Amino acid sequence: MNISVTINGREYTRQVDGSLTLLRFLREELGLTGTKEGCGAGECGACTVLLDGRTVNSCLVLAAEADGAAIETIEGEAADAELSSIQEAFARHFAVQCGYCTGGMIMSVRRLLEDNPRPTVEEIREGIEGNLCRCTGYQQIIEAVLDVSGQLDEATSEELKHV
Amino acid sequence: MTSTFEYLAPDSRDELLGLLADRGPTAKLLAGGTDLLVDLRNDMVHPECIVNLKKVPGYSEISWSEEDGVRIGAAVTINDVLHSQVILDSYPLLVDCASDLASYQIRNRATVVGNVVNASPCSDMAPALLCLGASAVIASHRGRRVVPFTDFFRGVKRTVLEPDEILETIVVPAESANGRGGYRKLKRIKGHDLGIVGVALFKKDGVLRLGVSSCAPTPILVGGLPADAPADQVVAAVGQAVNPISDLRCSKEYREHMVAVFTRRLLREVK
Repeated sequence: MNISVTINGREYTRQVDGSLTLLRFLREELGLTGTKEGCGAGECGACTVLLDGRTVNSCLVLAAEADGAAIETIEGEAADAELSSIQEAFARHFAVQCGYCTGGMIMSVRRLLEDNPRPTVEEIREGIEGNLCRCTGYQQIIEAVLDVSGQLDEATSEELKHV
Repeated sequence: MTSTFEYLAPDSRDELLGLLADRGPTAKLLAGGTDLLVDLRNDMVHPECIVNLKKVPGYSEISWSEEDGVRIGAAVTINDVLHSQVILDSYPLLVDCASDLASYQIRNRATVVGNVVNASPCSDMAPALLCLGASAVIASHRGRRVVPFTDFFRGVKRTVLEPDEILETIVVPAESANGRGGYRKLKRIKGHDLGIVGVALFKKDGVLRLGVSSCAPTPILVGGLPADAPADQVVAAVGQAVNPISDLRCSKEYREHMVAVFTRRLLREVK
């Protein structure tokens, strides 16, 4: 079947098999390999993308279901080789270790900050509950989110200790 | 995904019911896909066709009326429930259960109807729906029938649904609005996890009901108790009703213990 999707503002029309997942469509048909496959079962969040503005696990969506949708992936985050403010904060706080979870993590953080520009530590933890970092670098990720939301100075060291 | 299948996305109810009439036994309905795509990937199901129901007009709607209460369509997601003002205002127990279900990404896709038609013993929405006296409106080309959730589950992953039928709407009656309730779910971590034991408690107009998940082949209702029943009596009634197994997540004895703990905790907290 034929599908048309807008990805990071660019329109793509492709012939796809009905059983192809959105994740494999992005990676294998379009070469957008920033979106990763971790578990393939909706547990890890490495494949998180925005589908019509909502975060989804792209391993659990069929490409056919995305026909007509607007999708945003990690490739759309940096504009003209300029990192986004979230990406810069991740780099500044060493919130990237092996990097496998980072693409999906940043998509979830972006959604979180769009809904809630000044999340508390608890709200950040909830906002990224669907994204596993197996390097366990959560503290740096939370610091990066506090920083990009202009709250790093306000966050008490006591609060961060319990992260 | 090893299997290949035909993908169909009917955009009318008649077309959907016609497809189920013709191809029901070899078709799988696709709503959120958060269980179906995992089953397909693991080679657990081999449908000839997948029928996406999300394009059928009206299926994504939550509506409210004084007579019927709240109606939740087959494509309504868990996060839709958490953003519905009528549910936030009048059915706090649904909100409690929905917000404890999986992760944000899953809640954006997973549907309330999907969570019950899968008939998993650890369904998070079933305990609340049982407590609230909700019913399933089931449709097929043959007509429509209404089944209360107390009669809906038939066993692990089994329901009363026939292959040509769809659970179109969940109806939560108006008389259950504005009750008090709470949900406690035992899991290994605070975030995204399957329940090891789940207990929902609902109180309204002198009536007390509990819905329990992961403690029997199906989610179960423990009803018929007065709201002022002593805790020991409630715990005994729940203990009688459950029949948990030991599995890789915990032992039968631990489940029995935690059902009692959660029941006592909820009785203290839900005034």
